[in-house]
Amino acid sequence: MNIKRLETSRLFHRFGFGPRPGEYVQALKDGVEATRTKFLTVPAIDAGASGIKEPDITDLGKRPEPNTPQIVEFAIAMRYQSEQMGLWWLDRMALSDHGLTERMVWFWHGHWATSIQKLNYALPMFNQNKVLRANSLGNFYTMTKAMLNDGALQFWLDGQDSTFKAPNENLGRELMELFVLGVNRYSEDDVKAIARALTGYQVVRSSGLVSINQKRRDTNPVTLLGTTAVFTGDSIADFLVARNDCAVFIAERLWYRFISSSEVMPDGFAAKTAFADRTINNAVIAMASDSAMSNPQYELVKSPVEWFISACRALELTPSKLATPGQLMSYLDKLNQIPFAPPNVGGWPAGEAWLSSATAQYRISFAAWLIKQSNLNALLSIPIESRVRDSADWLALPEWSARTQSSLRASLDDPAQFALLALCSPEYIVSA
Amino acid sequence: MDTVSRRKFLKLTSGAAIVGATSNLLSLDQIAEAAINRALAPDTPILVVVTLYGGNDGLNTVIPFKDPIYFSSRPEISYKAETMLPLDADLALNPSMTGIKMLWDLGKVAIIRGVGYPKPDLSHFSSMAKWQTASPDRHINSGWLGRWLDSQSEDPMLAISLGSVLPPMLAGTKLSGSALPLGGLVIPRGALATQCIQLSKSARADSKLMAAAATSMRNLFNLSTSITPILKSPAPVAPDLPTVNGGNAGGDSNLTQQLDVVAKLIAAGSPTKVWSVSLGGFDTHANEANAQAELLGVVSQSLARFMNQLKSTTRLNDVTVMVYSEFGRRVKGNASQGTDHGTAGPMFVIGEKIKGGFYGDQPSLSKLVNGDLAVTTDFRDVYATVLESILKSPAEQTLGKWAGRTNFLTSA
Repeated sequence: MNIKRLETSRLFHRFGFGPRPGEYVQALKDGVEATRTKFLTVPAIDAGASGIKEPDITDLGKRPEPNTPQIVEFAIAMRYQSEQMGLWWLDRMALSDHGLTERMVWFWHGHWATSIQKLNYALPMFNQNKVLRANSLGNFYTMTKAMLNDGALQFWLDGQDSTFKAPNENLGRELMELFVLGVNRYSEDDVKAIARALTGYQVVRSSGLVSINQKRRDTNPVTLLGTTAVFTGDSIADFLVARNDCAVFIAERLWYRFISSSEVMPDGFAAKTAFADRTINNAVIAMASDSAMSNPQYELVKSPVEWFISACRALELTPSKLATPGQLMSYLDKLNQIPFAPPNVGGWPAGEAWLSSATAQYRISFAAWLIKQSNLNALLSIPIESRVRDSADWLALPEWSARTQSSLRASLDDPAQFALLALCSPEYIVSA
Repeated sequence: MDTVSRRKFLKLTSGAAIVGATSNLLSLDQIAEAAINRALAPDTPILVVVTLYGGNDGLNTVIPFKDPIYFSSRPEISYKAETMLPLDADLALNPSMTGIKMLWDLGKVAIIRGVGYPKPDLSHFSSMAKWQTASPDRHINSGWLGRWLDSQSEDPMLAISLGSVLPPMLAGTKLSGSALPLGGLVIPRGALATQCIQLSKSARADSKLMAAAATSMRNLFNLSTSITPILKSPAPVAPDLPTVNGGNAGGDSNLTQQLDVVAKLIAAGSPTKVWSVSLGGFDTHANEANAQAELLGVVSQSLARFMNQLKSTTRLNDVTVMVYSEFGRRVKGNASQGTDHGTAGPMFVIGEKIKGGFYGDQPSLSKLVNGDLAVTTDFRDVYATVLESILKSPAEQTLGKWAGRTNFLTSA
């Protein structure tokens, strides 16, 4: 495999959401270094994303009683807001000039995985997205503190029900296991201690507004990971993020989502040391330059949203303009990945979990539906005599296998079928 | 010979097929033919694994209702003794579990108490991985039934999971089970189908994941010929289960529909020896009593209904159901009328060939380990018995050397 094509392809599919037509060929001309720098530099103005109107997400207040006239209006507003919020984010992913920003927000959403299914209000989820957005390449101390004060996360993990009288371990455990340190880097006694120290939060569910009720707080000293102190949310964030295990863990998570979900992170992975000052951007830059990026061994499966957005970019489609949004959400639901609704606090699965016969079938009908709504300009502009080979450039793929070339060649007289096979090919579903 | 007549097959499956008639239907005659051609041999044992995601509170499932410590440990979420369903002098089922109680009274339910593994892990994900890989000591990448599949000849229909994501339990090192969605299936036809089949051939240059992607598409065409009509029924709407309370630890929400499809496919003679279904929502850190009772009610009623559906088939005697969760919950309740993560919990094994009764010791409420129940039975004892007595396979190739067994099968 051509390593230059491979590394450039990975920059597009892992550090962004795939190329727009023509971008991959241009990047190959520019060279890997220039392309890497472009991906890692946040532009002052993102013309693609700036045209997207922010949805009007409001506080819907207390849920009316069941079987009242008010509940209908409430449910309609709630559904409308959730849909608008989902489309807004998908549009940003599809239209942004700078893929990395949205890619990082997406990564952190899967990291601090919180679902609207339990919140049942759009506003706290929208606010959480803003927190993730503001910190996506920033400082991890700041992000962790902000997340402990995030109403959606607190409500999701029962923080508002954790009191001096009886602490609830849900938030404290997941903070250590899934968000900051990694599993088994603490003891069960630490879980009990952190739960006590994190008591007293209260959340207004409809808005995500967080406050601390001093009467419900346990202000006694606890011993957490060998240190005895009276902790607050902020000091817990500082204390945990400062630990070496935090750098190891965040490097592991970056590795898992950007490099390989099946191979173990090698000790020398550059993101780990680059995260010494807990600046996320430094870790991401180091990761994009690590030698793993050109090692063909480290492949990833595109998750359904990643696959869908990269298809939108190749087909020049805008998610919110697809007919209809309900149909779009239904396809994403069948593929088991809807933004703002991860399946559990561990986030979405990776790798082979996305490769069942069920997802194969839904992907085919999803792709057919998308292709019907595209004029296929990018594909049709490739001369038919070189279309099989050059369609790999259209999609930023290192190469087609002989198997796939054969089915593409047999479909040259049917561009819609050609596009469908290309988008559903093993080479496109997997980032080589 | 287990002759499913074409008429009977259509009768069993067409109810589901007609509803989804808006999408392209393969001919039912053609499908009936396919299922009849390679039906599972009569008297072949079938295993149905039910996974309860989130950590089911075992202490409010099989309840030590004579023990005052039970009531004093969790005053807000303990049940009144008179509402429970007594199993013997000391233990009772959750009041919502009338269906399983009925099967228990018929002697068809084995309850294995205090099940877990050494050094309990209270993380949902680690603990579920230990159960599904059957490797609590070190992390491995294959599931216990996946390794069993490795020992069988390749057949995408041999182990099927309902829902569109394959559980790790069914992933082997060489072979894997198939995942089947509920409803809405549209299999490509004509020229597109021909090219999809070409596209899913294995290629010499394929990496591991590309090969897996190709296989998943290939299996779609293998599977579709025999089970399309059942999958044609519209995607079921998740019933109003209390996912709001305990829903952040995985699992599906439509167990009844999953088991309905499994019952129909078993009746139709699907050549499948292992089925996997699941229910999520058991992570009841808050407001547990109603939520868990509702979930256990679904488990209990849908299993009773499932066993009942099998009565009208020739397969009733062949089917064994196994129910487990990744851990039980803390003995003492928390401030949110819920419980935090715990350790040991009960397993249920249900079927005509089961010797009903209790197995394993009930963990003592007065001898807790760090506030949690002690593990009295290793889940590998149960797996080993399932492998040998139900799947008729040596346990060692899947579990390594493992001596323990739980003898809940009648020696018929």
